[in-house]
Amino acid sequence: MSRRPTVAEQLARQGVSRRAFLKFCAAAASLMALPPSMAPAIAEALGKLRRPSVIWLSFQECTGCTESLTRSHTPTVESLIFDMISLDYHHTLQAAAGTAAEQAREDAMKEAGYLVLVDGSIPTRDGGIYSTIAGVTNLQMLKDALANAAAVVSIGTCAAYGGIPKADPNPTGAKSVQALMDEGLVPRKPVINVPGCPPIPTVITGVLAHYLTFGEIPELDSLGRPTMFYGDSIHDRCYRRPFYDQGMFAKTFDDEGARKGWCLFELGCKGPTTHNACATTKWNNGTSFPIESGHGCIGCSEPDFWDAGSFYTALSAPADPLTLATSATVAGAAIGVGMSFVNRAKKGAAKSGHETATLKDLEK
Amino acid sequence: MSGLEGIPIHIQTAPHAGANAQAILAELETALQALLDTGKEHSIDLRSLPLLPGELDYLQHTLGTGEVRVEIDALGKSDVRETAYRGVWWVAHYNTLDEVMAEFIEVSFCPDIVRAQRDDVRESLDALSARLAGNEE
Repeated sequence: MSRRPTVAEQLARQGVSRRAFLKFCAAAASLMALPPSMAPAIAEALGKLRRPSVIWLSFQECTGCTESLTRSHTPTVESLIFDMISLDYHHTLQAAAGTAAEQAREDAMKEAGYLVLVDGSIPTRDGGIYSTIAGVTNLQMLKDALANAAAVVSIGTCAAYGGIPKADPNPTGAKSVQALMDEGLVPRKPVINVPGCPPIPTVITGVLAHYLTFGEIPELDSLGRPTMFYGDSIHDRCYRRPFYDQGMFAKTFDDEGARKGWCLFELGCKGPTTHNACATTKWNNGTSFPIESGHGCIGCSEPDFWDAGSFYTALSAPADPLTLATSATVAGAAIGVGMSFVNRAKKGAAKSGHETATLKDLEK
Repeated sequence: MSGLEGIPIHIQTAPHAGANAQAILAELETALQALLDTGKEHSIDLRSLPLLPGELDYLQHTLGTGEVRVEIDALGKSDVRETAYRGVWWVAHYNTLDEVMAEFIEVSFCPDIVRAQRDDVRESLDALSARLAGNEE
């Protein structure tokens, strides 16, 4: 590691002033959802950071996560890749191909302590033959890569929870990175889940920047997600929340309520059970997010979102808090808060229950 | 049809519209008092807040435009504007593609990013001294 220059040295070599570095750190603090007062601490940490080696493994996936990352603007992906990390293997972005590419991966794995990024789930049925790279199964490649890794970041819902490949009937026996560790199929390492289909670009870079800057795993929730980005539900941070609290709902996609921007709960919005940063960080350089564009949240950052019922059916509620959920649709703020609390506490129950609340079936 | 104006959708402002902006104004009041009392600077990251559509414009309009405007050219542009409330600054950092990287409202006598940084000044002194000594072309 000692031959790698620090990030500060790297920037100084490029003629970047301290003022510019300060600006970079202010943007990084914002990116990492830290208070602006943390910028000097970030500057100090980055001053000592040596560019760590990163191996990015793409398994059963659609490349949407890489598409998302390459559209992240804060900091620009170029500065992230070239200044902060040494991206030694990424079979979509790297110039090398064929045996030279695989050689780069094997070389990077010789020096322990690198970071492994995974997008896509891993097929396990029939010996994992349903997805291979250079004749090596995804399962074997992950096993090898994790042996000397410091930590692994599961980028996207497929790597974090199995995602769409794992959706019923899961023909390839797809599993998440965490599931493979739990079953002892790959070496156990610290895991950071960054779900979303795809994850918000700045959330990907923000999580990486946090790990690289402070050299530690950020605080995680029970599903392995960094709480700084996944700590609140979409519903809790939604600008349409006041309409929910006052029982003002759009009933169809072109009625008066929809045009006036009322709450999309009855049109199937999964905001109350979904934890992500869309409502504050937003998409496309902070332009908007699905609800702001008039469509409910589909819950893509939650496990098994694809099998959780129709995107257009109002949230199911398990039998236990059913009465509470139903009354929340017509009552005020206090019950609204109770609702999101119940949803968070009973997430597991809600998944298995799937008893539709008394709201009309909107698909009919 | 040019842009969003051609689409007949009218956003009704939510009940309690402007509540977030009002909260920010109250925070600025506290911060200005603290700046006068203790010299403590304050900064609000605008991206971390769930602002309603229009609230950012409302905030910008309410704070108005002051006497100072600084444009910094470092890893892309930065725009530092004093608002009509002196000591309250609107700071926007752009990347080299002119996309907003971060946006803050800062409360200080002068935002830190405007000042020359100590290490840079030391390097400038060395460079100038070297030039005067004829060690550089």
